[in-house]
Amino acid sequence: MSGGYDASTAVMDYPRCDAQDKLAGRTRYTVDRAGPETLKAVLFRSNITAARIVRLNVEAARRAPGVRAIATAADAPGKFGLGIADHVLFAGDVIRHHGEPIAAIAADTMEQAKAAMELIELELDPLPAMLTMEAALAKGAREIHADWKDYEILLEGAKRGGNVAWEATVERGDSDAAFSRDDVTIVEGCYRVGRQSHVPFEPRAVNARFEDGRFNIETSTQVPWTVRSVTARALGIPESHVRVTVPAVGGGFGLKFDCTLEPYAAVLAKMTGRSVSLINSRREEQLTCLCRENAEIRIRSAVTPDGEIVGREATVLMDCGAYGGEQVFLTTMTAHTLGGNYRVGAVKLASRAVYTNTPPNGAFRACNGVYNTFVLERHTDEICREIGLDPIEFRRRNAIGNGDVGATGQVFEGDVLRPMLERMVEKYPYASSVESARDGWKRGRATTIGTWFVFVGPSAATVNLNADGSATLVTSGVEIGSGSMMQSLPQIIASELGIEPDAVIVKSADTDASGRDLGVGGGRQTVSLGAASAAACADVREKVLAVAGELLQAEASRLVLKDGRVEFRDGAGGSVRLTDVIARAEATVGPVSGSGAFTAPGVAAMPGCAAGHFIDAIDIPVFAVHDCELDVEIATGRVVVRNYRVIQDVGRAINPRAVHSQVQGGVVQGLGYALHEEITINDKGFFDQSGFETYRIPLAGDVIPVDLEMYEGAPSIGPLGTKGAGEVPILNVGATIACAVANATGKQVSELPLTPPRVLGLLKDGTEAIRLDHISRNWRENVISK
Amino acid sequence: MATSFRLNGETVIYHGDPRTSLLNVLRDTYRLTGAKAVCEEGFCGACTVHVDGEAVPSCLRPVGLVADCSVTTIEGLAERDAPHALQAAFRKHDVVQCGMCFPGMVMSLSKLLEENPSPSREEVKRGMTGNMCRCTGYERIIDAVMSLQDNAEARP
Repeated sequence: MSGGYDASTAVMDYPRCDAQDKLAGRTRYTVDRAGPETLKAVLFRSNITAARIVRLNVEAARRAPGVRAIATAADAPGKFGLGIADHVLFAGDVIRHHGEPIAAIAADTMEQAKAAMELIELELDPLPAMLTMEAALAKGAREIHADWKDYEILLEGAKRGGNVAWEATVERGDSDAAFSRDDVTIVEGCYRVGRQSHVPFEPRAVNARFEDGRFNIETSTQVPWTVRSVTARALGIPESHVRVTVPAVGGGFGLKFDCTLEPYAAVLAKMTGRSVSLINSRREEQLTCLCRENAEIRIRSAVTPDGEIVGREATVLMDCGAYGGEQVFLTTMTAHTLGGNYRVGAVKLASRAVYTNTPPNGAFRACNGVYNTFVLERHTDEICREIGLDPIEFRRRNAIGNGDVGATGQVFEGDVLRPMLERMVEKYPYASSVESARDGWKRGRATTIGTWFVFVGPSAATVNLNADGSATLVTSGVEIGSGSMMQSLPQIIASELGIEPDAVIVKSADTDASGRDLGVGGGRQTVSLGAASAAACADVREKVLAVAGELLQAEASRLVLKDGRVEFRDGAGGSVRLTDVIARAEATVGPVSGSGAFTAPGVAAMPGCAAGHFIDAIDIPVFAVHDCELDVEIATGRVVVRNYRVIQDVGRAINPRAVHSQVQGGVVQGLGYALHEEITINDKGFFDQSGFETYRIPLAGDVIPVDLEMYEGAPSIGPLGTKGAGEVPILNVGATIACAVANATGKQVSELPLTPPRVLGLLKDGTEAIRLDHISRNWRENVISK
Repeated sequence: MATSFRLNGETVIYHGDPRTSLLNVLRDTYRLTGAKAVCEEGFCGACTVHVDGEAVPSCLRPVGLVADCSVTTIEGLAERDAPHALQAAFRKHDVVQCGMCFPGMVMSLSKLLEENPSPSREEVKRGMTGNMCRCTGYERIIDAVMSLQDNAEARP
């Protein structure tokens, strides 16, 4: 990008331009857009966990009043997935989880569609259900996907087998030798976490039409291009036959980082020739939520008396549910999270996505980073206790810094974590916080560190200059509430083109108008779309300055775009209005537009040490230091968080106020995860929490203001040095709360969430240590042999 | 059976089943989609409307029970060019994220401020018990509500 543009002009607390209509109830989300002319669709879902389908007859339902079409497996035979194509749209022969769709019905009204469901005849032959990873991994366990060997492989290099959908491993150095040293202390622990439900206030929803031989899909998604490709695969049609547009999205948090409802509506739209709306009821949304997965972890480390970690071995079992989904990809992130934060000598890590007969899991803000950080930080505190080192001092000595090597052999650039940690304890010294708790309470404090990443990858942008001096940005970016489309991108473009952010028009996502994009998630939107947009602006600038050069009789290199004009960089001579340059361009060379693209250049890992990984190294690491002080009520086990402090590596904050909002919201979601949010699965394989009454998200009365300090200046390839700021605030919350509860109670905390009964169990020593006998202490026995 | 009520100042007559929830009638029949169907169990508050001056979740109220009542939705709360002081404060303080909870939040808190124009922070939090938000972590919403106390003319 051409120099001389002052990046600081992008930095401001620019308010979002969609607030007024959202506040007035005028914003039309996907759920608001289907009028009476639109057919209403419902999914006929399995009410059993595992079975063979003996007979399915939808003829009576098809003849029911108002019914326009019914689709079943025969109408969408294609398989799709990440890494492996293991997922089908409709259960055809086998039902693998409660709530799995078997048929889709479109009718004139919702009541008619629901009435028709009652007429579907279904005969089943139940199969033994495997509801836990322990059951699925047991010797001789029934294979949930009997034909797993025949599935198409979409990414080579991973081991799979039986009920292990995907296995990612890291082996660097000789950990056997490290654990055999006679000067090391070996610390071992087992940990377990449950599922977390996203609860976006707008459920997954879609409106579809079939027009001129193509599918028009309007949907509440974070990933328009994934919806396009999965719909095409499921329906067996070319991707170019699918157009995806996305209005305002009422929350995602990762749940909408996958294609789910869209292909059903598409099939029905084609069958009926009508617009079809399909919206998950809250109960469906909850019972088939692609949760943050439940996981089981065994970790052990060999540590010298002065706190050097010479060896580390860990096995992470991730429950992917009945289909691989995002967990297949997320096995990759164990290396960078559980294998992150600290310098480690030799390392062996296994991350296994395990099939069970439960609803599939998915991606949720910072994904498995959240529980891997919980495990790593609790394990670190256990190490400190065993070897008698202060936890802050241990972290100071071992935190990853400039030139240090990560788990997969990637070399980190810049000292970021250590100065952030030092800043936290300097700001809130431990010595000053020894005020003791009230009678009947125990007080604890903890400080944790965390490593996450920006999920870069391809983005494309086009910027069109308009005659009035405004600019239109065309991308597949989606505004899910984080503000990246409403704030970051207009700010970046305004800064690049010397105009006001209000003069930037952001077109909502449309795969027919924009180039490909990976989607909103992994903190990538400001970084990847921002970089593509900045590149498009550079293209625009070059064209504008060439024309302006003719008008001003000057070399383009002497000119600069500022305040809606083209001026001389050195302040000399005259200037010309941008609108005049645009008019001149239209008359001489045609309207001005620019295009830009971005993808990750790819950071090197050590060859041969990572297997089954989608990314071997992280292009943009993001670090966080969290600190909290809390009280535990001895009589009840209730945890009251007294204060919560965050120092977050933001690269460069271009909208500090918006970053604060993301951190407050992300930490509070993390407090829910740490303290009370959990989906449990009953013995029939159903989720126990089917709505807001049983799944409790944090209320206003539960929260406190989060104290944030932004750490700026860490290396980033993002535009203006930005990093994603919305994903990472949730990363260390479970870890910090757990470590603080452990410090308050003096007990080992090995499980989340820390509900009052669970904490009371710890206090009364009534909680049995987690054993995880199905994960061997011999790491090699936990991986598929070569 | 027909149900007649005042909706944002106009008399309307609803001809469907009086057991239908007010929320569904507003959204499906009158296409007033500002009230959101989020939990539909009366917990989240995203569907809050005013019925005869009282803030209520419209998902739990059969439309038959609002016969002859005056119903105000978020669409009828303020003139298009003159937003309610709360809406202005939320915008000014940039507290909106996905936005799904805010119409209900505005309807509930506007009533709270009518009854108690100078609430304490704790009183605002208590007043928000029936309004959930998944994005913001609440505190900045409360900051915005509290800011109204510094501005006498902004008080409703």
